[in-house]
Amino acid sequence: MSNEDLEQSFFRQHISQRFNTELEDIHSRVLAMGGVVEQQLIDAVTAMSETRFDLAEKVVTSDYRVNAHEVEIDEACTEILVRRQPTASDLRLVLAVIKTVTDLERIGDEAERMGRMALHFLEQDRQNGPVEELADMGEQVRSMLRGALDTFARMDVDQAVRVAQLDIQVDSQYEVIVHRLMDQMMKSPHAVPRAMDVIWTARSLERIGDRARNICEYVVYFVRGKNVRHTSYEEMAQEATGDRH
Amino acid sequence: MAAPNLKAEKRTRQRYRRERRFKALCVGAILLSVAFLVFFFTDIIQRGYTAFYQAEVRAEVTYSERTVDLPPAAVDDEVRPFVSRGWLRQLPDHVEADPDLMGQTVTRWITADAPVGQYLKGQYSELTEQEKAEVDRLREQGQIRLAFNTNFFTNGDSKMAEIAGIKSAVVGSVLTLAVTMAVAFPIGVMSAVYLEEFAPDNRFTRFIEVNINNLAAVPSILYGLLGLAIFINFVGVPRSSALAGGLTLALMTLPIIIISTRAALRAVPDSIREGAFGVGASRLQVVSHHVLPQSLPGILTGSIIGLAQAMGETAPLLLVGMMAFIPSAPEGVTDAATVLPAQIYTWASMPQRAFDEITAAGILVLLAVLLTLNATAVVLRKRFERRW
Amino acid sequence: MQMPQPNDNPRSSGGIAARSAPGTAELREEDDTVESGDRSQPTPASGVTRAPEVGAGAEPETAEAVHPTKVDVRSLSLWYGDTQALFDVNLQIPDKDVTALIGPSGCGKSTFLRCINRMNDLIPSVTTQGQLLLDEADIYGPDVDVVQLRSRVGMVFQKPNPFPKSIYENVAYAPRIHGVAQKGAEMDDLVETSLRKAGLWQEVSDRLSLPGTSLSGGQQQRLCIARAIAVNPDVILMDEPASALDPVATATIEELIDELQSNYTIIIVTHNMQQAARVARYTAFFHLGEVIEYDRTDTIFTTPREKRTEDYITGRFG
Repeated sequence: MSNEDLEQSFFRQHISQRFNTELEDIHSRVLAMGGVVEQQLIDAVTAMSETRFDLAEKVVTSDYRVNAHEVEIDEACTEILVRRQPTASDLRLVLAVIKTVTDLERIGDEAERMGRMALHFLEQDRQNGPVEELADMGEQVRSMLRGALDTFARMDVDQAVRVAQLDIQVDSQYEVIVHRLMDQMMKSPHAVPRAMDVIWTARSLERIGDRARNICEYVVYFVRGKNVRHTSYEEMAQEATGDRH
Repeated sequence: MAAPNLKAEKRTRQRYRRERRFKALCVGAILLSVAFLVFFFTDIIQRGYTAFYQAEVRAEVTYSERTVDLPPAAVDDEVRPFVSRGWLRQLPDHVEADPDLMGQTVTRWITADAPVGQYLKGQYSELTEQEKAEVDRLREQGQIRLAFNTNFFTNGDSKMAEIAGIKSAVVGSVLTLAVTMAVAFPIGVMSAVYLEEFAPDNRFTRFIEVNINNLAAVPSILYGLLGLAIFINFVGVPRSSALAGGLTLALMTLPIIIISTRAALRAVPDSIREGAFGVGASRLQVVSHHVLPQSLPGILTGSIIGLAQAMGETAPLLLVGMMAFIPSAPEGVTDAATVLPAQIYTWASMPQRAFDEITAAGILVLLAVLLTLNATAVVLRKRFERRW
Repeated sequence: MQMPQPNDNPRSSGGIAARSAPGTAELREEDDTVESGDRSQPTPASGVTRAPEVGAGAEPETAEAVHPTKVDVRSLSLWYGDTQALFDVNLQIPDKDVTALIGPSGCGKSTFLRCINRMNDLIPSVTTQGQLLLDEADIYGPDVDVVQLRSRVGMVFQKPNPFPKSIYENVAYAPRIHGVAQKGAEMDDLVETSLRKAGLWQEVSDRLSLPGTSLSGGQQQRLCIARAIAVNPDVILMDEPASALDPVATATIEELIDELQSNYTIIIVTHNMQQAARVARYTAFFHLGEVIEYDRTDTIFTTPREKRTEDYITGRFG
């Protein structure tokens, strides 16, 4: 289903044209916010892995844009709730948007934290080389976030399940990084400060993965009306593919 | 910008002109009908109001064996020409009513002959110049005066205008209408209630409905023929009686009562019926507890208007013989009787000039009664009208 | 559970079967033969829409008692003359709960509501078929007295329609004609209790002799509710009871419905979906004379199963 088809079927059929527009509007605003957040994540990871001081600064100073998006979309959602009293899929869309926006904002926060970490890291330890350990995980989380946003754009349940499952890999990558750094720390205590910074950053990436998974779950909630949070991947897949009667 | 504005202004002015013209036409129509009404009332009142005054002569009346046999002898020669012969003829009745009068001589005001009244009221009079001078002289002396005409209300019909009254006609009308209402009201209301509340809507009830509506438009003279055929010839009700007339008028009023009752019943909102059915009232309870009390003012209004129409009706009564000359009021519904409009018609065809004014007076009384009836209808409607 | 008699013929309301159109009669007979086959099975396989199962999920409110079925509608169809207005309606309405009927105009929800106290009997051309069981007894059965039925199934209408009598009389009327209470103190008590239950006593206790029509719209509607509960019915039917009222009066009525549901089974027709969402525990969506969906209200309003329900409640082109 292409994006246009989706908007055809989900938003364009209300008797009230303005309602259609309002729903389309919050949906596309979430995507716009997602774009900003994704860029923040890319910049933060690059800053870390390529020791780019400028990008780190940019990430830290751009978080206000994400926050502004969040406030705007929240207001739009409040207005729809007040004026339209949405029900069924409309209600689920608005709820999914509100929750997605919260998660996106937190992802933005994590990206900012990573940016700060990078700044700290680069200032304190200029002799340190780039942090290559995080490049793979960063790429994985980035593609997961992009996948989640894509899923949200198309409201594609099958893709939602696939993207959510990527979180398993992210988690295991995190475990691997932590183990490796623990080893380093045990071997040479002088490596501890750097390792701690890297672990904190990896932790942020892992959380971003969790939040990307949340976004996929909201897509399943919107499309199927089923709450798949706090369930196993198998259950989620089952619910998501289950017949709509 | 300017051109369409001009156009619009022109159209607006045209529209205003057209509205003014139309309004003027409507006002004209109203003025015309008001003018007719005013003309009618002034004419009738002008002709009729004098009938409520009557000339009276002050005379010594001797009640004796002789004067009972020969009433003109009861009064002096001087006033005899001016005293109503009709009044003198009633003298034996006076004595019969009050035996104490026998053998007495009483000075009292007695009804004057019609020409005296006409002369005093400045109308054409048959009196000779000499008699006129005499009347003037007696009037100076206070022997002749104009006083309220009680005869008009206490007497029945008479061939002499000065003692002719509407009493018998009024009593006849009341009896006739009592019969009409007693028959038409219950039958009409029951029929309407059945048709409106109970009857299924099918071909048969629709047929009845159409026929009732048509009956209301049938010329009233045909009801007279029907009454004559059924009540007088077939059932044997006495001719000219209030019973025969009342039944005939009932036939005529029935469709009006049915139609107006149905309209009144239909005006009761269905929500009242639903509410009553909803709490488990039976159909009879719905009708008798809710619908009928609600529609009563409407039913009464319709019935009173039907009554007023029956009251003004003469044509059907002609055929059942209610145009008779009735000098004394009927005492029951089977006595021969006449009604007010018939009485007016009789007087209008009398040759004597003096009947002119009592005809007009009779019309005034009839109008007053009809207006009172209609006013009653309006008051009833206003009083019982309830909002729901 | 009482099974239908084998010779359970299609019946018409108010004993006017003779007047129903011949085409209708044939149609009904056909249907009946088909159905009697179905009915002979004691299972609910004939498409009965069960009261939604409350105990299914793991949410906390599922601890609420599952109320027994009060009104059990089985394959109810209804015709106005030759036009079919209800198609094979199956519903199980739980006892002492609020059930809302929603749907677009002309979808048959009011018609269905009026079947439950046989108000449709008043329309001569109506014929019905199927069963409508109140406490497991068919209210369209041959020995059912409509007057008795309506004392068990009260009704409140769209437009407040108090009788044009005093407030006291409005409430006392039904108990009097049904012989529930004697004149005097007993009736006074009953009137007071009913008005109290309807939340109106405080407002009218000092002017019981004023006409009911002198009250405000919301008060009139509560008076109508007091009138309905004066004979202590089991079921109260409400046909858009708040549609003619302002928001405050509407809220008062809804609060009252909430209070009444512990003692009465309430079935409410409403055009206002938010109202259905606010007051009802179960909601049935009617469309073109059919029950499209019947479920818990929260389910209907968040995750309806049927697309037609979704389209209706979200204001889409159906």
